[in-house]
Amino acid sequence: MSKENSEFTPCWDILRGALTDIHNKNASRLSFENLYRASYKIVLRKNGELLYNSVKAFEELWFRNHALPPIAELVSPNLISIALLQLPGSSAHERRETGERFLRGIRSTWEDHNMSMNMVADILMYLERTYVAESRRPSIFAATIGLFRDHILRKDLDRASEQLDRPFIIFDVLIAVVLDLINMERDGDIIDRNLLRQITSMLEALYETDDELENDKLYLTVFEERFLEASRGFYKNECEKLLREGNASAWLRHTQRRLREEQDRCDTSLSILTTDKIASVVEEELIVAKLKEFLAMEGSGMKSMIDNDRHEDLSILYQLISRVDKTKHALKTILQIRVMDLGLEIEQTLKSTDFSAPAAGAEAEDAAEGGEKSKVQPLSAAAQQTAAAIKWVDDVLQLKDKFDTLSKTCFNEDLVLQSAVTKSFAEFINMFNRSSEFVSLFIDDSLKRGLKGKSDEDVEVVLQKAIVLLRYLADRDMFERYHQKHLARRLLHNKSEIHIEKELVRRMRAELGNHFTAKFEGMFKDMELSKDLSENYRDHVRNLGDADAKNIDLGIHVLTTNNWPPEVMGRSAVQEDGGRPDCTFPPAIKRLQESFFKYYLKDRSGRVLTWVASAGSADVKCVFPKVPGKESGPLSKERRYELNVSTYGMIVLELFNDVADGASLSFEEIQAKTNIPAQDLVRTLGSLSIPPKSRVLAKEPMSKNVKATDRFAFNAQFVSKTIKIKAPVISSTSKVEDGDERKETERKNDQTRAHVVDAAVVRIMKQRKELSHTQLTTEVIGQLAGRFKPEIAMIKKRIEDLLVREYLERIEGETAAYRYLA
Amino acid sequence: MADSKYITLVSGEGFEFVVLREAALVSPTIKGMLRSQFIEARTGRCTFPEISAHVLEKVVDYFHYWYRTREQEDVPDMEIPPEMCLELLMAAEYFNLDSKNPLRERE
Repeated sequence: MSKENSEFTPCWDILRGALTDIHNKNASRLSFENLYRASYKIVLRKNGELLYNSVKAFEELWFRNHALPPIAELVSPNLISIALLQLPGSSAHERRETGERFLRGIRSTWEDHNMSMNMVADILMYLERTYVAESRRPSIFAATIGLFRDHILRKDLDRASEQLDRPFIIFDVLIAVVLDLINMERDGDIIDRNLLRQITSMLEALYETDDELENDKLYLTVFEERFLEASRGFYKNECEKLLREGNASAWLRHTQRRLREEQDRCDTSLSILTTDKIASVVEEELIVAKLKEFLAMEGSGMKSMIDNDRHEDLSILYQLISRVDKTKHALKTILQIRVMDLGLEIEQTLKSTDFSAPAAGAEAEDAAEGGEKSKVQPLSAAAQQTAAAIKWVDDVLQLKDKFDTLSKTCFNEDLVLQSAVTKSFAEFINMFNRSSEFVSLFIDDSLKRGLKGKSDEDVEVVLQKAIVLLRYLADRDMFERYHQKHLARRLLHNKSEIHIEKELVRRMRAELGNHFTAKFEGMFKDMELSKDLSENYRDHVRNLGDADAKNIDLGIHVLTTNNWPPEVMGRSAVQEDGGRPDCTFPPAIKRLQESFFKYYLKDRSGRVLTWVASAGSADVKCVFPKVPGKESGPLSKERRYELNVSTYGMIVLELFNDVADGASLSFEEIQAKTNIPAQDLVRTLGSLSIPPKSRVLAKEPMSKNVKATDRFAFNAQFVSKTIKIKAPVISSTSKVEDGDERKETERKNDQTRAHVVDAAVVRIMKQRKELSHTQLTTEVIGQLAGRFKPEIAMIKKRIEDLLVREYLERIEGETAAYRYLA
Repeated sequence: MADSKYITLVSGEGFEFVVLREAALVSPTIKGMLRSQFIEARTGRCTFPEISAHVLEKVVDYFHYWYRTREQEDVPDMEIPPEMCLELLMAAEYFNLDSKNPLRERE
């Protein structure tokens, strides 16, 4: 033992002297080799443990005598009252100065110690490699660096404990000072970030124990926890303050700034280990805690952001909410509510526009119906209603544009939000029970009026809008019906560009499938075939060489019954009068019809052609003879005009060819001779006898309405500035349906739906053979989702009907289950 | 002072060996010597009073052998005269030239 000691002592003396020199920064004159060799020899002689303990003891002593005193001095009563007691009366400047002085003291002690211990560890490399590895003690570096933790940070100062009345350690002061500095920076002061960073690096380099486990860094175990806790308190207060200020816009910007600041702080002053944790503290306290309150703020909340298109606010909001909630629930809900509200607002606005003109009685009645919009509208308001329909569509599209813009500029085209908004759009559009009709009217109006002279881009815009709206409609079969009707009018009256119509239908097909557009395509085909047919017939007549003096030029549309709307085909009239009204054509026309009929059936025997007088039009050349007694002015000459009138108009005018000069015909006489339905006749006569520009018939008495008792005579005095005159055909303008028409449409639609449901039920049952009522209902709804939403009651009724017709039978012993009967 | 590319190793007899710094750094001992603020780091000159020239020569050979072959596989063994084995083993211990040495792998 003494031999060992005698070998140990000289070597240790060298090393001890060196340790002192290292601490005093005099290492540059020492030889590393000499010191290394000294420790090497001690270890070779198996005195590693002794060396280890001696070094540790030396360092402990050094700490007590040299390192601690200056630090203890820095922990002045003043510092303690500032940092730990947070006594008022000290200025921020004073607090910062005192705190930073203390931190600088800690920093320099730490830097000295750290550097010294690195050097010592290098010298004792061989000890580390052999003795430490074998004895499983902490490395000499860990053991000596840990002294800083044990003898400085965890040191309690009696003097200070008395001041505080509770035990405390230097670490508490350190953390309190750091947190105070951070709060000062949050309040806008400039602090020494570098110093802070060095202090936190120190805490990252120190561990709870000398085992140096990764998760036991003092930074994590002590500092970070207190930092997060203090920050939580800070932001909780801040959130309350922002809430009191009541400005959501300011809140958004503030929160965004805070998040950025905290990230920045972690990058420059603390540690990136904390970045995510402090971010979630800020998120919880500033975003989540009072989110609802901020969003609901009057005048600056989300409603106001949406209404006033405050895109920047909404962008920030989206970013903030995305941080805390992947489903963006709060944002989504408010967006949806806003879409619904604005959508319903459109309806409200429309309602007040709608009812401004008609009598007050209608309005009261409507109010009594609880907002039911499809009430009887006086016909005089038809144009106004059409305008209202266009306005509704425009408003909806505008709203859609608004939210599309929001989605693009603020919400990063977020799919969750997009689908939520789309859902709300569909919801309010379908809550409005005339949406199908209005959409079709919008298309009608755009294609008829709008597209002349417009560029391809404008056309494209209209088409896109139409498809966008179409996507929202749930009752597509209703839309199909309206579009069919409106399209028929446009085609027959040559009101729109056929290639645009086709393009629109092509897009509908792409969007909704073949079954949806089959009828429209049939209509186009009819139109094309008819064009050829008319030409061929013209050639045929020319070849016959039949020199008919009156030579009537026939342009014919042969329409396939199923493809065209019943209104156009004159089928609605059948229901009104109980029989097909066959109006009496003038003989010349009749001959023409027969000639065409013969021609048509030559190649197509067995077909039936029905003349639909209500859908046609005619150009009639009229000669107004010189009025006797007039020597000057237009009346003194014979006048020739070309009148464009409806087929009915033509028939009526033909009658007057046989009426003596000055004689007149009564309404009844005309009706008897022509057999035109009364309603149509009123319209026809009206167009010929009321507007000054086309008043070729004189009505007795002169009034704005046609009555059954009126008499009509040839207006020999008629003068027009233009040769070609168009008699306004009232029926050709598409207008909003009145209540009865609407009920009629719905009734017809329900009939069609009944058939479609029947077909669906049979299709499903044929395949499944047996099915419960609930399952069957679900499958039917699923199959029909693309076309309309069938009512449960209707499905039930259809099933019952099919049971009666023995397509299905009830399965005995089971409640509400059916079997398919082949 | 920018570190020179070479350092000088001095044997107990005073023989000097000029070695590529990078090659010599394979020894943790030399590495520690050169990175601290001791006299060796300042001068680039390491003296080993208790190592004789012929052993130090072989050690320097090894440094260069290691440096040449450090990125190769299947390297042939260095030739060691059997009579030097014991001395070289002790030198290896001193220079911490142990392939399993954690100090080497740490760097």
